Amino acid sequence: MYNLISVLFKYVFIIIIYLFIFSIIRLIYLDIKSISPVTLEGNAYLKLINRRDSIPYKIKEHYSIDGELTLGRRSDNDVYLNDPFISKKHLKIVEDEEEYYLEDLDSANGTFINTERVEDVVKLSNGDIIKLGSIEFLFVDRG
Amino acid sequence: MFNKSISTKTPRNLLLLFEILSLVLLLVNQWDNIDKTIYYIWIALILIIYISNFILNRITSGDNYIFLIVSMLMSIGIIMIYRIDSELGFKQLLWFIIGIIAFYFTYFMLKYIRGWKNWGKLYIVLSYILFLITFLLGTRKYGAINWITIGGHSFQPAEITKLLLIFILAFYYSNMDMFKDRKYSDYILMGLVYSFIGLLFLQRDLGTAVIFLGIYMVIQFIHEEKRMNILYNIGLFAVGGTLGYVLFDHVKVRVQTWINPWIYIDNKGYQITQSLFAIAEGGFFGTGIGLGNPEFIPLAYTDFIFSAICEEMGIFIGIGIIMLFMILVYRGFKIALNQNDKFFRILAIGVSTLFGIQSIIIIGGVIKVLPLTGITLPFVSYGGSSILSSFIALGILQISSEDMSYKEEEYCETRK
Amino acid sequence: MKHENRRIIIVLATLCICFVVLIGFMSYFQVFEAEAVKSNSYNKRLWINEEKILRGSIMDRNGTILAYSQENDGVMQRFYKYGNLYSHIIGYSHRAYGKSGLELSYNNYLLDLSESSTIEELKNIVAPSTIGNNLELTIDHGTQEKARTLLQGKKGAIVAMNPITGEIYAMVSLPDFNVNSLSEDWSVISENTNSSLLNRATQGLYPPGSAFKVITASAILDTPNIDTNYVCQGITKIDGYNFSDYNNIAHGELDLSQALIESCNTYFTEKSLEISVDNLRSTAELFMFNKNIPFDLPVNTSVFPKGNIGDTELAASGIGQGKVLATPLNMAMTASAISNNGEVMKPILVKSVVSNNGKVIKTNRREVLSTAVDSLDANTIKEMMVGVVQSGTGRNASIKNVKVAGKTGTAENASGKSHAWFIGFAPADDPRIVVSVILEEEGSTGGASAAPIARDLIIYGLNNINF
Repeated sequence: MYNLISVLFKYVFIIIIYLFIFSIIRLIYLDIKSISPVTLEGNAYLKLINRRDSIPYKIKEHYSIDGELTLGRRSDNDVYLNDPFISKKHLKIVEDEEEYYLEDLDSANGTFINTERVEDVVKLSNGDIIKLGSIEFLFVDRG
Repeated sequence: MFNKSISTKTPRNLLLLFEILSLVLLLVNQWDNIDKTIYYIWIALILIIYISNFILNRITSGDNYIFLIVSMLMSIGIIMIYRIDSELGFKQLLWFIIGIIAFYFTYFMLKYIRGWKNWGKLYIVLSYILFLITFLLGTRKYGAINWITIGGHSFQPAEITKLLLIFILAFYYSNMDMFKDRKYSDYILMGLVYSFIGLLFLQRDLGTAVIFLGIYMVIQFIHEEKRMNILYNIGLFAVGGTLGYVLFDHVKVRVQTWINPWIYIDNKGYQITQSLFAIAEGGFFGTGIGLGNPEFIPLAYTDFIFSAICEEMGIFIGIGIIMLFMILVYRGFKIALNQNDKFFRILAIGVSTLFGIQSIIIIGGVIKVLPLTGITLPFVSYGGSSILSSFIALGILQISSEDMSYKEEEYCETRK
Repeated sequence: MKHENRRIIIVLATLCICFVVLIGFMSYFQVFEAEAVKSNSYNKRLWINEEKILRGSIMDRNGTILAYSQENDGVMQRFYKYGNLYSHIIGYSHRAYGKSGLELSYNNYLLDLSESSTIEELKNIVAPSTIGNNLELTIDHGTQEKARTLLQGKKGAIVAMNPITGEIYAMVSLPDFNVNSLSEDWSVISENTNSSLLNRATQGLYPPGSAFKVITASAILDTPNIDTNYVCQGITKIDGYNFSDYNNIAHGELDLSQALIESCNTYFTEKSLEISVDNLRSTAELFMFNKNIPFDLPVNTSVFPKGNIGDTELAASGIGQGKVLATPLNMAMTASAISNNGEVMKPILVKSVVSNNGKVIKTNRREVLSTAVDSLDANTIKEMMVGVVQSGTGRNASIKNVKVAGKTGTAENASGKSHAWFIGFAPADDPRIVVSVILEEEGSTGGASAAPIARDLIIYGLNNINF
């Protein structure tokens, strides 16, 4: 009896291990395909904190802030994310004299900086965490 | 819209399935005489692997494939070791758990303690101390003096020295600005590495000596600005290799039994021929676990574990293992490419090279592509010190996959 | 930084190539080398089954048991009833010295290990058999014993077979060895110079001498417009090399039949030149020279020189000298073909493999390997061979009341002492047994020493074999 099961299992094991290898290679492949070469022109950028493969829509690892950046669900934003918790026009980041300011555009679910809800306009500093819906960005200012 | 079926869950679940099935197999095998402890431990292990992978996804912003790959390698290894010798399999399970702890320990040590890149002297001194201990307390095992026994546990100090070497090289090349002004610093490094290799040679630990050389050459090739030094190194290696062949009998024996083991089948070529018999017997699909005769292979649970796996699980699984190592090494180098901090970048290169070279040397050795040298197959072979050092190395790779160039401290504080 | 990235990729690529090489080598090893490696006698796995399975028995055509196994206190023991008699046919299965003969080539059948299909393999795993299959040989034990008695004290080989079915009745090669005392005798057997381990009947290569003239005669009959008459002067010069007849006796005017009966060398050397090398070679190849003969035991390939050979060489080949070499088995098959309307039969040693409960697992059936000559020519040569025994060099093989056909051969060789050959069959009109006899370095003619042995064996065979 054991012999029969053992023989059966040797094929099963081979199938499992190859599926395992295949699924990892597939993941890595998807990972590489979605990495666009990081061209960070400005001094400041947003970096995604969430694991990208845990997010069920298209999103990039980095977004550079070049003067102004708008974020929302609609496709006319600089950054548009198809997330039900993000408003059509959700927020805007503007640069002014080497300083960066975040403005919440009356979004339904709000924007949080380091757990504090943004009421109007807030000045961003390096290392701030911007949270909207389930997405978290790290604000980096190298200036 | 996004193909949801493909996420890290798929391989994680496959791994789980693999482990549960092997448990079922064990259950069927022991139906009349069930040893309960092994089930508790095995179930505990499955939980630990599953939870570890789960937690890792939460706490790290870095890579989440390497731990999965290693878990798979480890599982295959434990099944095979348990089948050869249930007591060793049991111990290996415990070592695996200790290894996971070491992995997390290393991960957090490197994450929260700063200044690793400044302690070069400490690494050098530690390495020499380990060598000294080996010579003073070492016992000869399988022809090499590279084991020390403390309180009934055998330990191979060179397993730790390997990692220290990577740290030394990372220290040197990430502090290039400092060393640029000092004359001959590059020759001092070369002398240092070759002193290690020489000491290993005296211990007759050829396999580890080759690994040291390999890691040194790779990191030098990538980071050395004086390209001439690489040529010197190659020249030195050629001269040293030839001298070693001429002077030392044990080197000659390795080469002879590699070229034609069949004429020494009774004595010197016994190990390699037994290994080839096992692989040939297995065929593509293997005999089935428990249905082959891996007990004929000497050291089937350590150096020759790959042959034992090939015999019972087939060379398809053997090829699978090679592919797993290939992905692991690929991920390691990918991590290095993405790492901006030079110190961690070199650590990642060093560790990936270590995994790559070590697995190539031992797999090549047992299938007679390369001369046989007695080293372990990382994560698969039995052995406490090997598992421990491999998991520490994996911890280094894990931390290197995270973005270390940001002001990490602020980020971590604000997150809490 | 850019340099570094490029170099990292170089190193990564190198390592990946190494991994791929490992995978490639493993696949290569499994496909091309594994079989040979597995069968190395140092592989202990070969002996595992031996301890669990009762090895099958081996019987002759009448059911006489020749070899069997018995279990004693859990240990399987192999018994060979006739120590020397079957040392080259059945061979041995010995832990220290490996396997030989049928014990080797039918090992999987004897142990009931079929690896033919996955289902069979599965069957082996689920219900591993404990009793192996038996072999039924075509050998006739009495004839085998008689053949060995006749050859006793000489060096050489005898093959006796059925010309119509290809069944081997007897196959003896001397010197032989005792399979029951391998451990005691091994150092002597394996090192002595008379190679007793060699099965001369299938693996010994000898110049066939005049026995080859049967093939040359076939080629002559096959060559259109050839003048089959010739005046023999006892000696002829070809390319400056002298070919002479036995004792330089001139035979005078001859046709093909008389030439074969008198075994006239000058006739066949001259005619070989007229046949041309290509035609002679292709006829020889139809008689299985330069061809692998499928058989239950390892067979060496008989040789007819290849390429464009000179006249001297061709003339020598025509009388079975020079570089022509033949196994006794091949010469027996040559005689069979003549007796069997020109059809060369596949030699059969194992009649069938029968399982422990009487089920026939494998049967070796009658099979034609090639048609060497057409039946008309075959019968012409047959009549000539009858003449050889009635009034020519093979008179010593003649039997009262039975028409025997045959051909003698006396082959010169490097040792200085000639080999004595006789090939023949009887009864000529209804052939039942073919015999090929070679006496190695006998120093006398085939007619004087080999023909009487063939005669005695034919008499015994015709009277005793259960055809």
